[in-house]
Amino acid sequence: MRLRNLLIWDIKFQARYGFYFLYGFLTALYVILLLSFPISWKANAAAILIFSDPAAMGLFFMGAIVLLEKSQRVTSFMSITPTKALEYILSKVISLSLTGMLVAGVLGIAAGGKNIPLLMLGTLLSSVIFTLFGVIIATKTTTLNRFILATVPVEIITFVPGLLHLFGITPPQGSLYPPNACMDLVAGKGFPIPGILLAIGLIAALMYIAHRSVLKMWQSQGGVKI
Amino acid sequence: MSPTKSSFLQMVKFIKRDKMLLATAIAPILAGLAIKFGIPLIEKGLVSLTGAREVLVPYYGIFDILLAALTPVMIGFVVAMIMLEERDDHIDKYLFVTGLGRKGYFLSRIGLPAGFALLVTLILLPLFCITRLSIAEIALLAIVGTLQGILISLMVLTFSTNKLEGMAVTKLSSLIMMGCLIPFFVPTPLRYVFTFMPSYWTGAGIAEGNALLMLPGVGIAALWILILYKVKD
Repeated sequence: MRLRNLLIWDIKFQARYGFYFLYGFLTALYVILLLSFPISWKANAAAILIFSDPAAMGLFFMGAIVLLEKSQRVTSFMSITPTKALEYILSKVISLSLTGMLVAGVLGIAAGGKNIPLLMLGTLLSSVIFTLFGVIIATKTTTLNRFILATVPVEIITFVPGLLHLFGITPPQGSLYPPNACMDLVAGKGFPIPGILLAIGLIAALMYIAHRSVLKMWQSQGGVKI
Repeated sequence: MSPTKSSFLQMVKFIKRDKMLLATAIAPILAGLAIKFGIPLIEKGLVSLTGAREVLVPYYGIFDILLAALTPVMIGFVVAMIMLEERDDHIDKYLFVTGLGRKGYFLSRIGLPAGFALLVTLILLPLFCITRLSIAEIALLAIVGTLQGILISLMVLTFSTNKLEGMAVTKLSSLIMMGCLIPFFVPTPLRYVFTFMPSYWTGAGIAEGNALLMLPGVGIAALWILILYKVKD
């Protein structure tokens, strides 16, 4: 019940600040782009687009969401409500992953993808990973510029191997690396079970760190511990 | 020290504390190196892969245009983020009523950084460009690029009321750089739809090999800046 209320609140928050309008526009633009590509490019282009945008949107926007909540003092009020840190995180992860999956589904269909459920699963896993990274970094930063800079290493360790893997430049064991396993799913190149299990393990570890980070953030305000 | 100068220096201190100063100093050089040495390498690979005589060479000009646009746009983003924060924390309104004033605020946050971006671009572009650019082309590419950076900062501020909207507009506004692709890829009657974008004209100037074609880009960018500044008023 609390989670449902939080989720509704997060979705309203995102709708109010033009988030869905932005993604509506970007999706239309990406679809036009995909349709104009030659057929041989479509599958890889869609995979790159999905992996770098709808799947990774949590990483890009979580800083703005949490920092805005911080400047509106929402995060401190959270700590005096019965809301649990886990519910707070889950609500953010679910709301952003749902948007990401929807956009990814549309792009997958536009690119003529055959296995849309697999693509959605890949988007879900990567979106959860990216959003959790976003939550962890956002709770620890105070300014947008700091946040953006701190996300760069995450982008490098996820996008670069993911892209190399998509073009088959990595060794066969590459599928074990969680971002690569997600890329396999998004690109419809298979169902690497060990890699997916490792991705779920990574999610559990990130969830643990995010939980601790949020609790710590809730207990401090403007550099002062409450 | 004039209020504008001290306000500018205060912002530089802010960016330095965020380590963003170092990043904005290094990133254009890294991008320049990647274009100068990476693109010809990729071209070599593509030629041997496809067997074609050339693959990317006809489009080398696009990389130079993007190189010229990169530094100002990056600096434009960084200052926009700072201004968004100052607005969310209501600091900007306090600054407006000091000796700095609204004009001084915008000059110190957008004008001076843009001047710096222009200078850096004028140095980096001739160093890292991969086509033969004339002095007029270098100057015009750098000027339109700089105006574009200013335009992005103003767009972010005009069309958003807080950080989150600001990030969303930032994402969209980076698309205005992509107008340079139009003259290369979109056929004639349709391409004129995009002439409202300053970057369309840099693309046209390079694609046609006529630097004069970039002049309308300067005018259009200046006009947009004026409109946004007035809207903001």
